[in-house]
Amino acid sequence: MNPLIFTTILMTVLLGTMIVMTSSHWLMIWIGFEMNLLAIIPILMKKYNPRTMEASTKYFLTQATASMLLMMAIIINLMHSGQWTITKVFNPTASIIMTSALAMKLGLTPFHFWVPEVTQGISLTSGLILLTWQKLAPMSILYQISPSINLNILLTMAVLSILVGGWGGLNQTQLRKIMAYSSIAHMGWMTAVLVYNPTLTMLNMLIYIMMTLTMFMLFIHSSSTTTLSLSHTWNKTPLTTTLILITLLSMGGLPPLSGFMPKWMIIQELTKNSSIILPTLMAIMALLNLYFYMRLTYSTSLTMFPSTNNMKMKWQFETKRITLLPPLIVMSSLLLPLTPMLSILD
Amino acid sequence: MLKIIIPTIMLMPLTWLSKKNMIWINTTTYSLLISLISLSLLNQPSNNSLNFSLMFFSDPLSAPLLVLTTWLLPLMLMASQHHLSKEPLIRKKLYITMLTMLQTFLIMTFTATELISFYILFEATLVPTLIIITRWGNQTERLNAGLYFLFYTLMGSLPLLVALISIQNLTGSLNFLLIQYWNQALPDSWSNIFLWLACMMAFMVKMPLYGLHLWLPKAHVEAPIAGSMVLAAILLKLGGYGMLRITTMLNPQTSFMAYPFLMLSLWGMIMTSSICLRQTDLKSLIAYSSVSHMALVIVAVLIQTPWSYMGATALMIAHGLTSSMLFCLANSNYERTHSRTMILARGLQTLLPLMAAWWLLASLTNLALPPSINLIGELFVVMSSFSWSNITIILMGANITITALYSLYMLITTQRGKYTHHVNSIKPSFTRENALMALHMTPLLLLSLNPKIILGFTY
Repeated sequence: MNPLIFTTILMTVLLGTMIVMTSSHWLMIWIGFEMNLLAIIPILMKKYNPRTMEASTKYFLTQATASMLLMMAIIINLMHSGQWTITKVFNPTASIIMTSALAMKLGLTPFHFWVPEVTQGISLTSGLILLTWQKLAPMSILYQISPSINLNILLTMAVLSILVGGWGGLNQTQLRKIMAYSSIAHMGWMTAVLVYNPTLTMLNMLIYIMMTLTMFMLFIHSSSTTTLSLSHTWNKTPLTTTLILITLLSMGGLPPLSGFMPKWMIIQELTKNSSIILPTLMAIMALLNLYFYMRLTYSTSLTMFPSTNNMKMKWQFETKRITLLPPLIVMSSLLLPLTPMLSILD
Repeated sequence: MLKIIIPTIMLMPLTWLSKKNMIWINTTTYSLLISLISLSLLNQPSNNSLNFSLMFFSDPLSAPLLVLTTWLLPLMLMASQHHLSKEPLIRKKLYITMLTMLQTFLIMTFTATELISFYILFEATLVPTLIIITRWGNQTERLNAGLYFLFYTLMGSLPLLVALISIQNLTGSLNFLLIQYWNQALPDSWSNIFLWLACMMAFMVKMPLYGLHLWLPKAHVEAPIAGSMVLAAILLKLGGYGMLRITTMLNPQTSFMAYPFLMLSLWGMIMTSSICLRQTDLKSLIAYSSVSHMALVIVAVLIQTPWSYMGATALMIAHGLTSSMLFCLANSNYERTHSRTMILARGLQTLLPLMAAWWLLASLTNLALPPSINLIGELFVVMSSFSWSNITIILMGANITITALYSLYMLITTQRGKYTHHVNSIKPSFTRENALMALHMTPLLLLSLNPKIILGFTY
């Protein structure tokens, strides 16, 4: 793509999210979402082939439906409260419709079906933007309306997301689908604590974005999209295998890595609010996620995958330059001792 | 406590910056020095704990375990030299780094005051162990073994996290120094029953309890020698240590909640000892014998009398040294014949007489011969369980007999009799191996002169 046009489109995506995050008028928020959606379609279709077209169409349809639902919720809110400022949504109908719309945008169960298929159809870089940047806008709206969200619906969606994210990823060998199911599960964790302490949602989002960025950049660096091709990295850059191991264990939520911090804080917050069975269930279901991460580490770093002569090796093109990979890796694995610093967030 | 932790962390730069021919010498020497520092902690005031800071403390229970942990690192390094000799230098350094990381986490776990810090470090010990088992194990079954190990432990310990956090909300602090003073009886209700279960299951899986022990034979057999040593000697004791710490908060539910686990342990020790009699795989035999000894520790901890606590602590230390020594002996066989089958390497007394002496001593301590500390542990446990209920003497007596049976079976099969014709070309014992066995055996024998230091905090 022409670099000037690509920059313009990327800036529009950024502008759309910024408008969503900083507006106080509901119509501007809807405009921001639409701007974001329209501008990201060309980015999703960077490579022009039928798979990306199909993926972009699916993405467009689901997100447009979600935006229309959001518009309807905004209008109902206008009808009942008489103003366009974004505040707690007092009307329960509007609140439920808005929650469903934002869940559709985020990819929470039962609206998660588009996430694996869209992520699989697009290139790794576009998938990176899809799974990290695109989650910021809906999450910021959820943060702002969090006092009024119906707790039952949100918690059901969260727990089902963690279940679906865990179980769905078990049968996958394609890396992009694995990352998509991991995203569904993490979104579930984030929305579970939204009503109790939205700051922890933001913390979880931050750490999730860092870990997902790291994973995608490691995949881009080894240009691998399947488990099989990822298992060849020990031959090209053995250090990448160690980094993949550490980041995957961090995503699985194992102490002492920083992926444990959001889970710990969320369990603490939920327990303080006297729900005990829920965090136990959530923590045990996160083990499903850990299982398929472990399978990835087994084929990548913990075993020498028998790469005999009758297997196709990838061409060794010149090494891609990945920006900011070392700081990302450090931040996505070593932040746990800084947990007491979270007190500054209050 | 930093005087032990910082040198252990510094062993990692030492490994990476050493020259090729000095990695083993440097790390073994410095880890021996660190273990000598930790010996000073054995000088404990009688009923209280030595508090080094708000975060670390040492107690007559944790001090012997700490000394065992630091003593074991040089032994692990010495045992690993042979099977790593053919690997490239970076992989050797990675292996030593994994061992050192595991050691750091273990030292911090045994001395942690805050129970959530204990939990995080308890989980953190899983990662280096998993990497050692899966990356450096020898058979294809090691993948399955690593998964079983990781997931059994995590399934048990996630409810523990929730339970610890809810206790922190109820009582305000989880710092062990405070809890032992303002402990109150737990009221009787269903949710407190689940709280008891949540707290104890993590340690039951780690010990392991008989019904949940499936990960242990897999993990012990598939791990390389250092992995087996640290698993048998220390990681199982983490479960016992955790149980001893957390039962102080869980009264009076323990008196009736403990029954199912007591039944499982009492039956399980007979079962696993009997399985040992039918094993062909040497490492698997030693692994099942670990389950059997740890079942005794579980019985002792759940009875909660002063004598049983003394027996549990003594048995943990004694079993750590004995089991680790048995794994080293099995490994010396494995390195020569590359098979773990017992009957393939029999009659070794004719070929390696000094090693036969070590085999004899190890088997004798395994069957708890007087005056070794194994006997002190087992005897205290048997006596206190007899006072708890008279009938247990039948099971305990049967267990001691069957333990003697399989220990002697192991000794006679590997050492006595005519040697097979294909082992007459094995290499003689290295000095390193003899030193390894001596370093295991000497603390065991010396401790029988003054067992007071390992009898724990109820002495």
